[in-house]
Amino acid sequence: MAPQDRLTLDRAEPQAAPVREPGSLLRAADLSVSYGHHQVVSGVGFGLSHGESLALIGESGSGKSTIARAVLRLGTGRASGRVEFEGQDILSLPERRFRPLRGRRIGFVPQDPGSSLNAVRTIGSQAQEAAALTGERGTAQRKELVLQTFAQVGLDDPRRVYDSYPHQLSGGMLQRVLIGLTVLPRPALIVADEPTSALDVTIQKRILDLLSELRRDLGISLLLITHDLAIAAEHADSLVVLKDGVVQDAGPTTAVFSAPESDYTRRLHADVPALNPDRYRHLRTRRGGEPKIEVSGVTKVFTVEGKPLTAVDDVSFTVAAGTTHALVGESGSGKTTIVRLLLGLEEPGTGGITVAGEEVTGRSHASLRSIRRHLQLVYQNPFTSLDPTWKVERLVREPLDRFGVGTRQERTDRVRAALESVGLEENLLSRRPAALSGGQRQRVAIARSLVLRPDIIVLDEPTSALDVSVQAGIVEVLVSLQAELGLTYVFVSHDLALVRQLADTVSVLRRGRIVESGTVQSVFDSPQQTYTRTLVDSIPQGFA
Amino acid sequence: MNRHYANYAVRRVMQAVVVIVLAYVFTFVVISVLPGDPVTSTLRNPQNGFTEEEITRIVAYYGLDRPVYEQLWQAFSRFVTGDLGVSLRSGLPVSRMIGEVLPSTLVLAASALAVALVLAFAIALGTRYLPKRYGQGVLRAFPSLFLSVPNFVIGLLLIQVFAFQLGLFRVIDAEGSLATFFAAVALGIPVSARVTEVLIANLDHEAGQEYASVARSRGLGRTRLFVRHLLKPSSLPVVTVIALVVGELLGGAVITEQIFGRTGIGSLVQRSVTTQDLPVLQAIVALAAVVFVVVNLFADLVYPLLDPRVKPGEVRTRVRAEVAAS
Amino acid sequence: MSPARPVARVRVPLTVVLSFAVVALVLSWSLVPDLFTGQDPARGVPADKFRGPSGAHWFGTDHLGRDLFSRVVHGTASSVTSALIAVGIAVVVGGLFGLLAGFLGGWTDTVLARLVDVLLAIPEFLLAVVVVSALGFQTINAAVAVGVSAVGVFARVMRSEVLGTRRAVFVEASYLQGGSRWHILVRHVLPNASRSLASLAVLQFGYSILLIAALAFLGFGDPPPASDWGLLVSVGKDYPLAPWLVYAPALVMIATVLSVNRISRWLRKTD
Repeated sequence: MAPQDRLTLDRAEPQAAPVREPGSLLRAADLSVSYGHHQVVSGVGFGLSHGESLALIGESGSGKSTIARAVLRLGTGRASGRVEFEGQDILSLPERRFRPLRGRRIGFVPQDPGSSLNAVRTIGSQAQEAAALTGERGTAQRKELVLQTFAQVGLDDPRRVYDSYPHQLSGGMLQRVLIGLTVLPRPALIVADEPTSALDVTIQKRILDLLSELRRDLGISLLLITHDLAIAAEHADSLVVLKDGVVQDAGPTTAVFSAPESDYTRRLHADVPALNPDRYRHLRTRRGGEPKIEVSGVTKVFTVEGKPLTAVDDVSFTVAAGTTHALVGESGSGKTTIVRLLLGLEEPGTGGITVAGEEVTGRSHASLRSIRRHLQLVYQNPFTSLDPTWKVERLVREPLDRFGVGTRQERTDRVRAALESVGLEENLLSRRPAALSGGQRQRVAIARSLVLRPDIIVLDEPTSALDVSVQAGIVEVLVSLQAELGLTYVFVSHDLALVRQLADTVSVLRRGRIVESGTVQSVFDSPQQTYTRTLVDSIPQGFA
Repeated sequence: MNRHYANYAVRRVMQAVVVIVLAYVFTFVVISVLPGDPVTSTLRNPQNGFTEEEITRIVAYYGLDRPVYEQLWQAFSRFVTGDLGVSLRSGLPVSRMIGEVLPSTLVLAASALAVALVLAFAIALGTRYLPKRYGQGVLRAFPSLFLSVPNFVIGLLLIQVFAFQLGLFRVIDAEGSLATFFAAVALGIPVSARVTEVLIANLDHEAGQEYASVARSRGLGRTRLFVRHLLKPSSLPVVTVIALVVGELLGGAVITEQIFGRTGIGSLVQRSVTTQDLPVLQAIVALAAVVFVVVNLFADLVYPLLDPRVKPGEVRTRVRAEVAAS
Repeated sequence: MSPARPVARVRVPLTVVLSFAVVALVLSWSLVPDLFTGQDPARGVPADKFRGPSGAHWFGTDHLGRDLFSRVVHGTASSVTSALIAVGIAVVVGGLFGLLAGFLGGWTDTVLARLVDVLLAIPEFLLAVVVVSALGFQTINAAVAVGVSAVGVFARVMRSEVLGTRRAVFVEASYLQGGSRWHILVRHVLPNASRSLASLAVLQFGYSILLIAALAFLGFGDPPPASDWGLLVSVGKDYPLAPWLVYAPALVMIATVLSVNRISRWLRKTD
C-alpha cells in the first residue's frame, strides 16, 4: 500500500490511547498545491488526532511549509483536494467563514521570530489582537490575559515585554512571545513552521520543551514542520516524510524510524549527524603530527558604539597536523573572530598565533602572502562568497592567477582536478554561480580553496546554510580529502552533532572564552563544565 | 539612542551648513565664470541704456573690478544677511523681486504636493484593494505613465480641455483658485509618480513580510491588516521622499507657471535668463538649494524619531536606494 | 547530488518587445531620417497650412505648410542624441565620482559626498537652465546641462553600490587569495557595482529626453527652424485650432519615454 493511501495512523500502543477516532482533528486527503504552472505539493494525505503531534519532515523544496500554509490558508498557491478540520472541509470554505477559525481554532508559530512581529508597533499592541480572539472586550482585561500568558511561557518581566518594541528583545524571547500569543486563545491545533531553526542551539531545546509542555497541559495538538529528523523523532508521535511535494513515508515515529519504507527516508536517516555519530570513523585515521597551528593567549577587543566589546578573551588551542579541530559555540561566542585572527584579517590585542611555524600576528598583508598559500578559508555562505559575475572556471583559477603559479595550461589542469576531487562535473566550468545550487556552490568554494594545495583549510560553518543531505555530501568530500591529502582542518560550527561526526579535538567557546577543550570523545562523553553539558544535552537524541 | 541621536543631529546640521556654503560658491562660480563676461557685455550693450554713472555704480557694487574670490566673499556675506544683490535689469533689490513672486509659487508648490500625495495614496490603496482584474495591471502602470508624459504636455492638455473646451476656468485669471488647482494638478502628477512607486514598493514589501502572515494567522482581515500593520511602515519613508522631490517641485514650477501664465519664481527665472540678469538667477538658484538642504535636514532629523526600525545614520541610504530603484 | 538549475530561457514579455521596437524605430529616425520621409522639414507649401492628419501628411501640416511628420522625424536626431550625450556625461562622470568616493573612502569620500550633495540640492531643471544660459542656447548645450545635473544621482548610486560590494564576502575572499587592491577594484567591484547602473541609465535616458524637451519648450534649445520635439510643442501651442501640432510630437515623446521606462523596469527585474 503506497504511503499516501495510509490516511489514518494507528498508535503503537492502542490500549494507552484515549478512545478517539484516529485522524479526528485534522485530516488531509489528496492535497495538491501549485503556484501558477508549478506544482509544489502532489497528492499528500495525513491525519492528526486530538492531543497528538505530527511532524512533516522534508528538505527545502519538499513542500512542507506550503502544506502548513495551506492548512491555515495563508499561502498564495492554489490548493486542491480535501483538508478536514474537526470534520469540516476547510479548503472549500469562503474566506469569511474560514477567518474565524484562524487563531481561535488553528494557531501558527512562525520560523523567524525576528521578522514575525511588526517592527513599528509595540509587542503589547500586537498582543491585543491575540487577546481579542478570546472575546474579551476591555483593553485592560485583555492586557491581563496577555501578561498571564507571558508568565506562563517563561518570560521574566511580562510588563516590560508588553511595552517593548520587537527589536529590543532577543530571538528566544520573541519566540516565547509568539508561542504565548498563539496559545492564548486556546486553539485546538497549532501549526509550527520550523519554530526553532532561527534560534541558538541551547534555546532551541528550551523552546521545543516549552511547546511540548504547553501541549500536554492544554491538550493542544501540534503539526510540526521541520527539516530536522532528530527533532521530529524526539517531539512527534507520528511522522510524514516529504520529498518534492510527495509523501515518501508516513506512520508512527517508532515505525518510520526502525523500518523506513522508502530509500529517501533511509538516506535521510543516514545523513542526519545527530543520529549517526560514527559515520566517518573509518575515514578518520588520526595522523596527529606536530602542531600545525598554535594559538596562545589571544585577546581581541572591539569598540562598538563607544563601548569596548571583548570578542575573544585569552583563547589558546593547538591543532595537530592532519587532524580536524572544531571551534564550537553559539552566536556571540567569538568563533568567527578567531577565524579572522587566524587568517590575519584582524590583529589580536595580545597573544600570538603561529601557523606552520611562522608567526601570523604583527605582519603586514604583503608579508602574509606566503602564509596565505598554505592557509585557505571556506566561508559559510556559498551565495555571497563567489563573485556572481565570474564563471566557475575563473573563480577556481583565481588563486593560481594571483599567486602566479605554473603556466596557463598547468592552471587549467589544476582547476579541472580540483573540481573533480569535490565531485563536480566539468560542464559546470562555464557556468556562473547563479546557475548552481547551494551545495554545488559550496563545492566550488572548496575546490577554490584546494587549488593552491594548502596544508590547512579553515571552514567557517561551511554547511549551515545547506540542506541535510547536501551537507552530508559536502562533509563526505571534506573527510575523504583529508584522508587523501593529509589536510589539517579548523572547523567552526554551532552544530555539535556534526562536530562529533568529523572532529578530532574541540574547543567549546562561550562569550569569547574557552569553556572546555580536549578530544571530541572526552568532551562529549564526559563534559566537565555545566555549559558544555547543556550544549551536549541539547543534541536531539532521536530515540536515546 | 539619545546620545547616538545627538551626535547624528550635530553631524547632520554641520553637513547641511557645509553644503549650503558650497552650493552658493558653486552657483557663483558657474555664473561668474561665464565665457564672454555677460555682465559687462550686458552693461556695455547700448541697447540696454545704462549710463556711465550707473555702470560705475554697479561695477563698484558687485566688485566687478576686483578678483573673483573677493567678489565671492562680498556676495556671500551679503547673502547671509539677506541681501541678495540688485537686478541688472530693473535696479531693484533681488530680495524684493523674489519676495513679490514667491507667494504664488509657494501656493502652487504646496497644492501640487497635496495633489501628489492624494493621488499617490489613492493609487497605492487601489493596488491593495481592488480585485486583481482591475487593480493590479492598470493601476500599477500609472506611475510609469505619469513619468513618461512631459509636464508641459499635461499642462497644455488640461488647459485645452478644461479651459477652452469646457470653459471651467479662464487662463487670463491665472491666480484664481480653479486655475491654480489645474496648475497644481499639472505640476503634481509627475511628482506623484515618484511617491506612488515608493509607496507601492513598500506596501508590496511589507505585505510579503512574515509578520503580515503571522498577523493574518491571528484572524486579522484585509482592512484591519492594512490599517494596523501595513500603513505605518509603508508611509513613513514617504516623509523622506517628499523632502527629495522638493527639487522637482521647484524645477517643474518654472514650466508650469509659464504655461498657466502665473507670475511666480518660474517666470522670474525665465525673464532673468532671456535678459541675462545674472544676480537674480544666482540668488534664485542659491535659495532653491538652501530650501532643499533645510527641508532634507528636517526630514533626516525627524525620520529616525518616527521609525523605530532605523538607526539615525541609515536614513538616507535606505530611502535613497528605494527612490533610485524606482 | 542535486542537479544544477537549468539556465533559464529568457522569456521577454510582449510589452518589452514592443518597447524595443519603438526605441529602435526612434533611433533609426535619428540616424537616417530621410529613409522615413521624403518631405522637406524646413520648407513647406504655404497653401497647405493647417491641414489635419491625412494620407498625404501623416501628422498634418503646420502654420507654414510644412509636413509635421517630417519635422518630427528630423527633429529626432537632436532630441534623442542630446539625451544620449546627457546620460553619457552623467554615467561617466557620476560613475567615476561614485567609484572614487566608495573605493577610496576617507577624505576623498567626504569631499566628493559634499560635492554630490550640492549637485543634488540644486533642482535638476534649474541647474540645467543655469548651465544652458552660461553656455548658450543650443540643444547640445542643453544636453550638457542635463547631463551635469544628473551626475549627482549616478554618483550617489555608484557610491552605495561600491560600498556594498566592497563589503561583500567574495571581495574578502579574493583578498585572501592574493588579490591586489587594483585587481579587486577592476575585476570584482566594478562589474558588480555597474549592474544596477544599467537600468538606471536607461531610465535616466528617458528622463533626459523629457528635460531637454522642456528646455526646448522654453526656448533654450536650438532656435527655429529646428524641429526639436519640445520646440514643436511650444510653437504648436499657439495654434489651439490645430491641436495635432501639439499632440503629434507629444505622443511621439510619450511613446518613446514609455518604451524606455518599460525596458528599464524589465532590466531591473532580470537582474
